[in-house]
Amino acid sequence: MALVTFDNVSKFFGEVVAVKDFSLEIYDREFIVLLGPSGCGKSTALRIVAGLELPTKGNILIKDQVVNDVEPKRRDVAMVFQNYALYPHMSVYDNIAFGLRMRGLHRREIDRMVKEAGQNLGLGDLLRRKPGELSGGQRQRVALGRAIVRRPVVYLMDEPLSNLDAKLRVQTRAELVKMHRLLQTTFIYVTHDQVEAMTMGDRIAILEQGVLQQVGPPQEVYDRPGNIFVAGFIGSPAMNMFPARLQTRNGDVFADSEVGSFRLNPQQAQGATNASDGEVMVGVRPEHLYVGGDEGSGAVSATIGAMVDLVEYLGNEAHVTFSRTDATLVARLDARVKLKPAEIVPLTVLVENLHLFDRASGRRLA
Amino acid sequence: MESGDAATAALPAPVPLTRRYPWLGGLSHFGGGMLFLWPSLVLFGGFVFYPLLKSVYLGFFVSDPFGHGQEFVGFDQYREVLTSPDFRKSLGVTVLFALYTVPTGMVLGLVFALLANQRLRGALFFRTVFSSTIAASVAVAAVMWLMLLNPSAGFVNWILGQFDMPRVNWLTDPQWRETWDSGPALMAVSLTTIWLNIGFTTLVLLAALQNIPQDLYESARVDGASPWSLLRHITLPMLSPALLFVVVVSTIIAFQSFGQIHILTRGGPLDATNVIVYSIYTDAFINFEYGAAAVRAVALFLLVLALTLVQFRFLARRVFYR
Repeated sequence: MALVTFDNVSKFFGEVVAVKDFSLEIYDREFIVLLGPSGCGKSTALRIVAGLELPTKGNILIKDQVVNDVEPKRRDVAMVFQNYALYPHMSVYDNIAFGLRMRGLHRREIDRMVKEAGQNLGLGDLLRRKPGELSGGQRQRVALGRAIVRRPVVYLMDEPLSNLDAKLRVQTRAELVKMHRLLQTTFIYVTHDQVEAMTMGDRIAILEQGVLQQVGPPQEVYDRPGNIFVAGFIGSPAMNMFPARLQTRNGDVFADSEVGSFRLNPQQAQGATNASDGEVMVGVRPEHLYVGGDEGSGAVSATIGAMVDLVEYLGNEAHVTFSRTDATLVARLDARVKLKPAEIVPLTVLVENLHLFDRASGRRLA
Repeated sequence: MESGDAATAALPAPVPLTRRYPWLGGLSHFGGGMLFLWPSLVLFGGFVFYPLLKSVYLGFFVSDPFGHGQEFVGFDQYREVLTSPDFRKSLGVTVLFALYTVPTGMVLGLVFALLANQRLRGALFFRTVFSSTIAASVAVAAVMWLMLLNPSAGFVNWILGQFDMPRVNWLTDPQWRETWDSGPALMAVSLTTIWLNIGFTTLVLLAALQNIPQDLYESARVDGASPWSLLRHITLPMLSPALLFVVVVSTIIAFQSFGQIHILTRGGPLDATNVIVYSIYTDAFINFEYGAAAVRAVALFLLVLALTLVQFRFLARRVFYR
């Protein structure tokens, strides 16, 4: 059953389009991540669920009820803000208790729940402090505690980790996943960080300029990006892309490009028939490029000569930038591969690892 | 984070002042501090500390008409003036005046600021209107209200007339009725004072309101707060430093009001608006009793000082400073 449904939701701020024709069903107990670059409308979408923004068009449903006109407090949602929005004049205890008090719970009940939440989040000793006396990580915990204690039907999180340092972010990421498993509740999580999205989400919804680009489990989005934008956005280093022209020779379909000529396998050739004017973009992930020939692998592959431009050693791996005529290719290689700039080496790609996109529409062909 | 660190790293190391201005090297730490303080010390010394000490000193003397201490009487004059019935009366009037003006002005200012802070079309217009009285001088305001309160041609009595209510001699009637201790004159003066100060109060509170982060309201709304709860649990606590400031400053302003009283009532009728400041003026510049005026001035100073300390002591505990 869909717990939260965006039904063709659009949101305009004057002339500016924040969200456009956004439709998405979010299931009960799901951890869904809204991912996109800044300004893509993901936060606006989240605020529409919270009731902090009204959709200009379309409907927002919670538990199959249209809630467009329902006040935030009657939606039974809890939200964690990017800068936490803790009440600076209240103690940690009062911050966590605030939502419960507003709901008119009994004082003893509130006390029990606040102390329990404080205990679970390791805030036990800090309950009397004011937010100003806490570290960034502790404040973040208070913000989480304030949301958790409410037991809402859905948790909304607006980049809750972006103000933490790198180490704490990784740690909290894991804790949030555990928390989701423990609470068995729906999480809608907004981030611009693809690592967060890949590691935490059951599904990822990728937005760009207010338009939903693709929804799916992280691996699927990574392996089969639905369009050029998603292909370029997900993955680091980014997918290599170059324009190519489809040509048929001796019954085989080739993608001819500056980088090389690739003979497509039957499946790809089938998908390529949908290309408009035979103009395509070919994409290949950095980890799918190998140095050396393709002898004996048995798979259909293509080998090209390329010149080493730049080698970045990261300890466990090396990111190597190659140039070939006007094109640039980045490969993710084993750190033990020793390459020198200006060296010319054979570079191999398995054809089955190529992604094909329509150049005009950006859509995936194969 | 990274960009912040980079920015810090890019800053040049601070140059010690002594390298830029070598002659500063001979100054001690204290001397350096005094160098920065002397302009305000000279101003405060000349216009605040010296007159204050001179007033205390003058209170010990019966003065001649030119303000020179003539005969040393010690504390006798202090005792005499401060226990006199007319001082007690003017103290009462002053306290009543403050009670009329401070709470009313603050509540009105808060209401205006809350209204002007709404994101509505034309809010900017009302922000200007509500804070415009800050630009009116006391004299102009007093003359304006003199017209409005005129018993026969004034707008206020005209309004009363429209509702078949009796006309009021706002500025000359010593008593409302037999039973009331204070007449309409004090109210009229208070009204003028509230009008005068409302711009300041509104402006200060409006500025403080706009400093409250919006996401606190959003968070509280998601947490289930009603508009009333938002006001009580977010707005008022976050406004508390500004509210304390407004209370202290408007109390001091109330205790020091002079211009509007001078123009509207001259302390009358029957001393109904003879606040301490006005009695100081009468004593010094009408009766030429500088010694007695100095005593009242010292008393007023101590009164305001004590009141301010009390306000800080009791109200500051409820104030939250970010």
